[in-house]
Amino acid sequence: METLVQSASYLFDLGVIIAALAGVTWGIMGGALPGISPSITMALLLPFTYTMEPMSAIVLLASTYIGAEYGGSVPAILIRTPGTNAAAATVIDGYEMNRQGKAGLALGISLYSGVLGSLFGLAMLILLSGPLSRVALAFTPPAYFALGVLGLSVIATLSGENLVKGFIAAILGLMVATIGTDPVTGGTRFTFGSSELLSGIEPVMIMVGLFAMSELLVQAGGRGEAERVTSRPRINFPDLKLARRLAFPQSIGGVIGTFEGVMPGAGGTIASFMSYNEARRWSRRPEEFGKGSPEGIAAPETANNTVAETALVPLLSFGIPGSNSTAILLGGFLIHGIVPGPMLFQRSGEIVHGLYAGLFTATFGMLVMGMLLLPACIWLVNRPRPYLNAFIFALILSGIYSIHNSVFDLGIMMAAGAVGFFMRMLRFPFLPTVLGLVLGYLVESSFRRSLVLSGDDLMIFVDDRISLALLMLAFLFIAGSLGKRIYDLARRRRVEAFSEGSEARE
Amino acid sequence: MISRDLVGGLAAVVIGAVYLYFAYQLRVSALDDSLGPSGMPRIYGWLLLSLGLILTAQAILSRLIGAPLAAGREALRGEWEGQGRRIGWAAGLFAIGAAYLSAVEKLGYLVSVALLIPAAATFLGARFGPRLLAIAALGAVALWAIFALVLGVSMPSGLLGRLGL
Amino acid sequence: MRKQRILAAGSAVFMCGMIAGAHAQDYPVDTVTLITHSSPGGGSDVFLRELSRYLGPILGANVVVENVRGGSGAAAMANLAQSAPDGSKFYATTPTFIYTSLLSDPEYKYTDLEPLVNFFIDPEVIYTSANSEYQTLEDVIDHAREGRGQWGAANPASLERQALEQLKAAAGVNAAVVTHEGGGDLLINVLNGTLQIGVGEVQEIQSQLEAGELRLLATFSDERLEAFPDLPTVEELGYDVVVRKFRGLAGPKDLPVDVIAAWERAVQEVLADEEYKAAYEAANLRAAYMPHEEYVQFIEDFGNETRDFLKETGVIE
Repeated sequence: METLVQSASYLFDLGVIIAALAGVTWGIMGGALPGISPSITMALLLPFTYTMEPMSAIVLLASTYIGAEYGGSVPAILIRTPGTNAAAATVIDGYEMNRQGKAGLALGISLYSGVLGSLFGLAMLILLSGPLSRVALAFTPPAYFALGVLGLSVIATLSGENLVKGFIAAILGLMVATIGTDPVTGGTRFTFGSSELLSGIEPVMIMVGLFAMSELLVQAGGRGEAERVTSRPRINFPDLKLARRLAFPQSIGGVIGTFEGVMPGAGGTIASFMSYNEARRWSRRPEEFGKGSPEGIAAPETANNTVAETALVPLLSFGIPGSNSTAILLGGFLIHGIVPGPMLFQRSGEIVHGLYAGLFTATFGMLVMGMLLLPACIWLVNRPRPYLNAFIFALILSGIYSIHNSVFDLGIMMAAGAVGFFMRMLRFPFLPTVLGLVLGYLVESSFRRSLVLSGDDLMIFVDDRISLALLMLAFLFIAGSLGKRIYDLARRRRVEAFSEGSEARE
Repeated sequence: MISRDLVGGLAAVVIGAVYLYFAYQLRVSALDDSLGPSGMPRIYGWLLLSLGLILTAQAILSRLIGAPLAAGREALRGEWEGQGRRIGWAAGLFAIGAAYLSAVEKLGYLVSVALLIPAAATFLGARFGPRLLAIAALGAVALWAIFALVLGVSMPSGLLGRLGL
Repeated sequence: MRKQRILAAGSAVFMCGMIAGAHAQDYPVDTVTLITHSSPGGGSDVFLRELSRYLGPILGANVVVENVRGGSGAAAMANLAQSAPDGSKFYATTPTFIYTSLLSDPEYKYTDLEPLVNFFIDPEVIYTSANSEYQTLEDVIDHAREGRGQWGAANPASLERQALEQLKAAAGVNAAVVTHEGGGDLLINVLNGTLQIGVGEVQEIQSQLEAGELRLLATFSDERLEAFPDLPTVEELGYDVVVRKFRGLAGPKDLPVDVIAAWERAVQEVLADEEYKAAYEAANLRAAYMPHEEYVQFIEDFGNETRDFLKETGVIE
């Protein structure tokens, strides 16, 4: 309670307000540019924070982070390009709604879910920091492994009509994740002497290639055969009926986002995919998922915006950054001589209170900026298709280049695009590939780390209670979805398959 | 007739085999854990290989037993129709991208993007003309302003850089 | 996610020390760029930006920091090796650049650069959770001798890992050395008791130390630390392992003599600067100035030692 009161006093602090609004606007812009991740967006501001007041500096960086996590959904919906890794799950139904001429509603849902997720996460951060930080501590290597497996179990339900194809796609993703430096020995794997491959392939390059580049190639192949529906350049928020329907997927996103955010290393991408899958599992209309379901936007967008808030829990309470973005925020603290960790609240309590107030202001800034900026974005994507696609092409080539200033990365992105094009032609789903890519490193490194810990005793995964629970859950999910497939097959019903539009659009 | 699944299955087998070949060459070290750097890659490789074989078998089997034949054959025939043309057009756009990649460091970012946009737009069906060129030039400057000026990314300067711009 | 694979930030260039001081005419170029492979906000980055503030006026040039990411230093080494040795560009060296050179065999290695001077040596300490039963390093080693010890290092193939492997060999115990994805993961696993000990720099665990959540057991430095006079060194305890995590600069080959002289003077001056001294001592950095000649030799020895270690353990051929 005391925290709330003290934080509230900073709500009207001009420096905090300006920093929050500037940060969130900059963040939305950076997040919306493909390839410019939240961490890059923040890093670009870092030099300017040197000369600022510590409180404004921290608020500026943190607001940029939440703005960027939201901004990623804009290109995901409008041009099938996830602006951030965590927005990849939003592409599925967001782009589909856009194709149906409902871009305004899709953007409205993502904005509204983002704001709700952000507020929920902030509430968790302020009120439950202590208990949540104990959750982070309880996660040992075997528990992380089990978490990764739980994430991978989603593949069983996201594989489309043919499970074998889904698994093949997933393994392709896992294979890409093995490129780079080995997590245990530090030796190199599959780099073929190239120093560009040393630190692995950034998931965003593959995602932009698979989603956006392949879409450009497919459309080039179709030569404008497809009918195109354009959306009116305005933002529509859901009406009461839809809002009630979205409340449940949003709660799923909020809860999953809270936990994933707290765990260092788990992150927004896993959170958004898991909440997408859970929203679909518990939905009354699962058949709409993949075909433009508003719930399919609400769940992941709530989740990744919640993560942006609760990711601050381990940072503030242990001084441990759980992601690249929070690592930069940590840098922002250190520059001003503030060391996050157990002593932070005693020593620099006012900074924390200012930060809370700033995050609150930033969330409303996000709402306002979204409403102002988005209609212009819709107008832009309503331009004639050849022009639009030429610009998208130029945009993704620029964005991916700026990750490492490397033409090599552009080659990887284009190659992923070509692979994506053929995967669509051969009707392989992409989502398993993306999941394999995102989770491959986590699963492999924590599995091997656990075995090193236990001296190659597999019982470590059973002895650790969290690990056991998560593994059992994963088993239930897989068994359930396999069982359903067999049941459908036995009844000679068409398998009620889900796929994210892997079919080449004819 | 070859179905898409057959092609997909065979592709998976080939990819799995190539990957395995490299996985077996990974260096062993005394700092290794028991699974080692090549442990997971080997598992992935064998899994992909076997899944590829299963998919291939599925494709062949469904040809042999499944499908009331006439309809099945009809469907199969339609399956590849027009794909050659599609691949051709897609390859064209891919080639434009490849040309951009090879040119961007020599010509510089601004010039390359100013060429990429009209080339891609024309290829995709826009009418070539002064209007397109004007839009492309404006667009290139806008992208350059966003990435190089606002975000401070050091885009290749190339030609213009040498002129001192 | 992979922490050490933090995305590159393009190059956030920050102008520092804008006011060229009294020595402006001494230094051959107006702007000196210090390159780091660390991400903005990372350890080396924060260190350099702090340093550049004080160094500018003393050196008589603008000092700017640039992040050249990619390949754990491989990109930065290539950048440096190919630039002119006119004193305008230097690379902030840490042991990482030697490990990267040896492990991944990039086109340009540490041997293609010329070490300039050294600034600091970061003390590496062994720590355990305050709740644990281990009061001394000996307790930990006894535990490992009886059963199976679990020790943690922040990264695979790093100086910390090497230190633990050497300690293991010196003590003749078979402990599992568990590597992580950065100091944060490691810290969590020490706090929750998964690991008996972790190795890291003092500044990484400062907050936990102050809060009394961690206990220091020993330091890998060659002598006791000023801030912790009661903390024994590993060497004192009878295990012949000393770790020197250096922070210095390196430039392209064939640096001109006047540039080297200017740096040797400036570095001694900046390390003695009262205000800067307060700042770096607060961050637990230990000034360890090494002039050019000594540093060249030091890096060569360090490189050879590391190569031997990696060869013995079979990581490289």
